[in-house]
Amino acid sequence: MAVDVRAPEHPRVQRLEQVWEERPGILGWLTTVDHKRIGLLYFFTTLAFFGAGGIEALLIRTQLAQPESKVLAPDTFNELFTTHGVTMIFLFVIPMTTGAFGNYLVPLMIGSRDMAFPRMNALSYWLFLGSGIFIYIGLFMGFGPNAGWFDYVPLALRHFNPGPNVDFYALGLILNGVSSTLAAINFIVTIFKLRAPGMSLNRMPLFCFAMLAVSLALIFALPALTIDLVFLELSRKVGFQFFIPGNGGDPLLWQHLFWLFAHPEVYIIVLPAFGIATSIIPTFAKRRMIAFPLVALAELLVAFIGFGVWAHHMFATGLPTITLVFFAAATLMVVIPSTIQVYAWTMTVSAGRPEFRAPLLFIGGFIVFFVMGGLSGIMFAAIPFDQATTDTYFVVAHFHFIIFGAAVFPILGGMYYWFPKVTGRLYHEGLAQLSFWLAFVGTALTFFPMHIVGLIGMPRRVYTYPHGLGWDSYNLIETIGSYILAAGLLLVAFNLIYSRFSGAPAGPDPFHGGTLEWTIPSPPPHYNFAVIPTVSSAYPNWDEPDRAVDAGKLERGELTYEAGHETPTSTVRDGVFDEVVDMPSESPWPVTLAFFAALALVMVLISHYAIAGIFLLLVLFSLAGWHWKEPQEA
Amino acid sequence: MTGVRGARGVLLTFAVLALAGCADKQNTLAPASKQEGRISTLFWIMMAGAWIGFAIIVGLLVLGWVNRRREGLPGGGGERAATRIVIVMGVFVPIVLLSTLFVYSNIFVVKSTAAPPPGTTVRTLGVVGHQWFWEVRYPGTEAVTANEIHIPVNTRVNVVATTDDVIHSFWVPQLNRKIDMIPGRENRVLLAADRTGVFRGECAEFCGLQHAHMSMQVVAEPVAKFKRWLANMARPAPAPTSSDERRGREVFLSKACSGCHTVRGTDAAGKIGPDLTHVASRSTLAALTIPNTRDYLFRWIHDPQQFKEGVKMPSLHLTDSEVNALVAYLRSLK
Amino acid sequence: MSVIRSMHAPPGRADRHRIARPNGWWGVVVFIATEATLFGTIFGSYFYLRFRTAAWPPKGIPDPAVTVPAILTAVLVATSLVVQLAFWAGRAGRVRAAQWLLVLALIVQGAYFGIQMHLFLDDLDKFSPSGSAYASIYFTMLGAHHAHVVFGMFLELFLVLRLVAGLTNYRLIGLQATTFYWHFVNVLALCVLATQIYAAL
Repeated sequence: MAVDVRAPEHPRVQRLEQVWEERPGILGWLTTVDHKRIGLLYFFTTLAFFGAGGIEALLIRTQLAQPESKVLAPDTFNELFTTHGVTMIFLFVIPMTTGAFGNYLVPLMIGSRDMAFPRMNALSYWLFLGSGIFIYIGLFMGFGPNAGWFDYVPLALRHFNPGPNVDFYALGLILNGVSSTLAAINFIVTIFKLRAPGMSLNRMPLFCFAMLAVSLALIFALPALTIDLVFLELSRKVGFQFFIPGNGGDPLLWQHLFWLFAHPEVYIIVLPAFGIATSIIPTFAKRRMIAFPLVALAELLVAFIGFGVWAHHMFATGLPTITLVFFAAATLMVVIPSTIQVYAWTMTVSAGRPEFRAPLLFIGGFIVFFVMGGLSGIMFAAIPFDQATTDTYFVVAHFHFIIFGAAVFPILGGMYYWFPKVTGRLYHEGLAQLSFWLAFVGTALTFFPMHIVGLIGMPRRVYTYPHGLGWDSYNLIETIGSYILAAGLLLVAFNLIYSRFSGAPAGPDPFHGGTLEWTIPSPPPHYNFAVIPTVSSAYPNWDEPDRAVDAGKLERGELTYEAGHETPTSTVRDGVFDEVVDMPSESPWPVTLAFFAALALVMVLISHYAIAGIFLLLVLFSLAGWHWKEPQEA
Repeated sequence: MTGVRGARGVLLTFAVLALAGCADKQNTLAPASKQEGRISTLFWIMMAGAWIGFAIIVGLLVLGWVNRRREGLPGGGGERAATRIVIVMGVFVPIVLLSTLFVYSNIFVVKSTAAPPPGTTVRTLGVVGHQWFWEVRYPGTEAVTANEIHIPVNTRVNVVATTDDVIHSFWVPQLNRKIDMIPGRENRVLLAADRTGVFRGECAEFCGLQHAHMSMQVVAEPVAKFKRWLANMARPAPAPTSSDERRGREVFLSKACSGCHTVRGTDAAGKIGPDLTHVASRSTLAALTIPNTRDYLFRWIHDPQQFKEGVKMPSLHLTDSEVNALVAYLRSLK
Repeated sequence: MSVIRSMHAPPGRADRHRIARPNGWWGVVVFIATEATLFGTIFGSYFYLRFRTAAWPPKGIPDPAVTVPAILTAVLVATSLVVQLAFWAGRAGRVRAAQWLLVLALIVQGAYFGIQMHLFLDDLDKFSPSGSAYASIYFTMLGAHHAHVVFGMFLELFLVLRLVAGLTNYRLIGLQATTFYWHFVNVLALCVLATQIYAAL
């Protein structure tokens, strides 16, 4: 039973409110550095992109419902499927799991008052928003990215793609990459340094382990994409020869660099979702996660081994067999940390007393679809089979089961799970369960037939297909499934909006979860914790004595740090208290810097390099302005 | 949960029926060669294993639900037993199964799908990918054609694949794996049909606007028939025999046609579009987009964009009479 | 347990009393990790292209200069010591000394950059980056390195100006961060030099 330490009338609490509260109105949101507000900004923005990507998907499915259909012209189709992929990966899934869930929850779960670098956190958001707007301006002007989300050369070079489509893609993703890199730095330092005293690494919630693994993966994977995109733009704009065989270049250089990034990227997609699953399961199974240390290790191992498998995306390119065999072996190795986690989750559900409310239902769906997608993934590690089915709908089935199953279902479950914490109200359980079943059936109907139609010869990225090859009925079923899936997702949205205004009050701890976010009021106050909590296990909210001790501390002013805008830091491994740091308040610099950075890239897009240089100088200027005043002076 | 498993069962039945009975045209699981046969067998074995693995996990979840009112594992046992299961089923069993899969597929089966070692094939043909058709050559002969590849049955044929523009991928699902066609490289794949037939293939790497309409046919025929076909392909174009055909040739050579297309034996030596020397011998046009009939050929020449929007052949604004003449001429190029 | 409000304590004392490294230290270290990876991919691409090409540099392109760049690199690497001394001075409370050391580093690095720019433009006159993959990766690698040098100078300039108002914990951590950044840039400079020497052999 959580102890509510708010006691709003207490002078210390009032002082904390006064210090941590932010400006109201638009200006407040533009200058916010509060991780919860930034998390919400990410949440709504990524949801909008999810909607856009979903509409793109429905248009694609509508075109493909029948053979030789004329719903969409080929160039529109090609822009739609490319933008669908780019949107879902870079503008939805990753910013949703890291920017929305990660930002909102990590400080709460570790007992901190904010992220380590609050202004840089805001910058990450504004850069992300800028990258999304940049790419979509391209789409709406009729110049959407059109060479596939992996944008192979030479098709992406100017000779074959003279319009600005690929430039919108490349420059937008460079901006997006900077956003993610800064976010990753922030998570790593926050997780290392800002944990509540007593929270040694082995007591840190598994969601935070997942965020740590994701952030480390982003740090080491993004540079490969960044440099690839820089090479691409230099080739397109100024005629550099990285990819032209006649002049010493190689089209496969693009692929190697791209997949060096993009394979770890797919683990970046699923790892936070694993983290969400490992948060929901113990709560609803009413017991600790089985094999907790193994699961934490497995999360880190997946990220690490995932760097060694990239060329399994290139099995059909004619690389020497010995190379292929090496990558196939590495691909099979990376399966093991995943199977460890699957069995740990399943055993925890089995050994507990599971209550299949909506969040756990979505996790059940996640496990089912992740296993299905994982099994088809294992099939791809058999080189001859991969060489037969890569670039067909079989692989489209595989990765949609993984992304939808292993990322979107946990996101949906997580939305329901933490909805009471963020809004202070309960969602409608009946509607939530219905939304699950619609989404589950819709997902199965949309993506399962793709395995079959891929095996009987349908390649991917085709805007239409002929009669008489036996593909017609599968495509029709998939389209119907996609509409059912859309209905399920809309029902989730409806439920959350409706419950936001009419839901029953939730209180701080409706589900009796084990982690620290359930010890504070719903919604959390600006300062998160009036008393920085004492932690002596991995499930602090289940430790009654510790929570009672916290309540006593408010009176004595221990671990309250209400003198200024402060939070404590601790040592990396053991969480021993170290020092108190000042946190910055609202600042106009993050949004300003992001604005100049986006404009610099717009200038590169239209080939006005000198003006781009000026905007880069303005970025440096903003950086100086930002750091001119120190947190306690600002 | 059971309702969903039922639905999956229905889908599986449907799948098996469909795979067994429907058009074989591009079906990787209807092999017409030993190589594809091995891939197909590999798939069925993996699929069996996958369904078993899937059933175990779903079964465990269902058991967890059934036993939801009791603490502890359904069969008895607590945290220690559960952890043991995680380690055995999550680490040791996968290691054994995956190692077996690795050896079987990546040490043995991969030998069939690897590029044919030099000197192990009797015949070589070269395919060059273009946006959006296949240029086919038979080294050692003058034969050049497009989109329809003939090979002798029961013969190991080495296909050397490259591209003239962007990356394409040569894929004949019933005969072997796909192989990418990459600028600056020559990749090889083995075609060795073990029965006669017409096998459909398709480009399997997104190559631009009309990637969806870049298909091909591989015709596996008895050796004698193949040799006759090849000899014909190697010959220059037959001379026109009627006045319509002669007029057609005039139109062909005087209008833009010869700028893009080659008809060997005439002055037309364009390299942008497919070789048309024996276009009338093919069963389709525009890389299997439309049948090769008088009516479709007329409509194609009149306005190619209506069938394949974005194709590099523009509408040439010819009069009907000019088009008719062209049709007559082209249909004489057997 | 006495609580150290480090931002309000004298910088040297806070630095000595900390058990763990400050947040800013960790932030810079992780940032350097990602930038180092970026250069790793550049060097990786360099050698990938090299091993697919018979002649390196291709015929018609002169071998990269070695002597002058080697001297320049040695001078640049020496400024690592200067910047490190600036940090030690700051930590000991000698703010003016720290400032003057930073100014010295700035002057030397500025001269380095100026001469390197001259050599870079000279190279551009001799062969074009769009003439071959070698030229493309050559100019990209050098350009990326020079951009990092400029950013490092910007960091030093900022600190020199801020230190006018005195030393605080925040600024001391900033000074340490700049020191790390420069050590990283200088290691990269050595890697770039090694690559040029390799190509010239």
